[in-house]
Amino acid sequence: MSDWPDEAVEYVQAIADTKLVLGHRNAQWSLAGPSLEDDIGGSSAAQEEVGHVRQLFRMLQQQGRDDDWLQGDRDPTEFNNVSALDVIDGEWPEYVATIAPADRAAWYLLDAIDRNDMDGMITKIGEEEYFHLEYHDARLETLAEEYPSRIQETLEETLPQTMAFIGPSTYDDDADPLLDAGFTDTSIASIRDSFADHYRELFDDTPVSLDGVDWTVPDPDDWDETRRRVGSGGISDEDIRQLTGEENAMFAR
Amino acid sequence: MSDTEKYEVFARKNQGDDTKHVGNVSAKNGRLAKMYAHNTFDEEDWDYMAVVRQGDLLEVEHGSPRTTVTTDE
Repeated sequence: MSDWPDEAVEYVQAIADTKLVLGHRNAQWSLAGPSLEDDIGGSSAAQEEVGHVRQLFRMLQQQGRDDDWLQGDRDPTEFNNVSALDVIDGEWPEYVATIAPADRAAWYLLDAIDRNDMDGMITKIGEEEYFHLEYHDARLETLAEEYPSRIQETLEETLPQTMAFIGPSTYDDDADPLLDAGFTDTSIASIRDSFADHYRELFDDTPVSLDGVDWTVPDPDDWDETRRRVGSGGISDEDIRQLTGEENAMFAR
Repeated sequence: MSDTEKYEVFARKNQGDDTKHVGNVSAKNGRLAKMYAHNTFDEEDWDYMAVVRQGDLLEVEHGSPRTTVTTDE
């Protein structure tokens, strides 16, 4: 049974659910890229994200989470993914400007975990995430030149939603429950700073301005700690049917 | 807007092996070309992989057999 603090189980659940939906979105968009190389990149990332989910779900099972529930036998509002991934409106540039921050935030939260029994898994995931994040950044650089207004408008939505997923700025070195518990070695406030600095630097010499991004989200009073977001919403029932393989059941009879 | 260019991809399986040409990718910059190469040619656990912009390849003409001769040379 669980030897993690309750907050830690929810923290890892949110990372795993974000990766689950990321893998699904990558798969959905993997034939919509502007080049064959982009499609291959999306397909490859989809497979790797699902692999990460399997590892994280195994750890969550060890902490008492029900396997059927983990696999998708739950309501849309019980998936604790980055809210920006609930629905992706637009075309391929909007897709990239949505998944890139979500993937980076999930990795930052995972990398902050300080557990000997998870070190090997996190190192392996990090080796794969390096290529995901480097690809996203390389693609955002070119898209910033080609579609500056579309990328900027999308980031003005998705970056605050992703900041909400990371957590509130009040979770600093003196007041971060998981840091206090020794489950993580980096405060949420520090992760927020690293995340924001990364994107400010990435777009510094591009036509995309991040001046309109609200980096203060979330207000701690409005923040749902379990779902790591502000407000309601969630993935669709159709997403859940596809994630659970329900659509394929007729072929298995 | 940057134009797409072709990059040749070279790789080796083990340290000490010859680095061989394995294919090419088209990309808008070198950073993206490296990621495309990694994703596209991932069938092996490569020890080393590199990309070279096709325009940076130096063609070695010396010793190449001529197949045509023109009168204005």
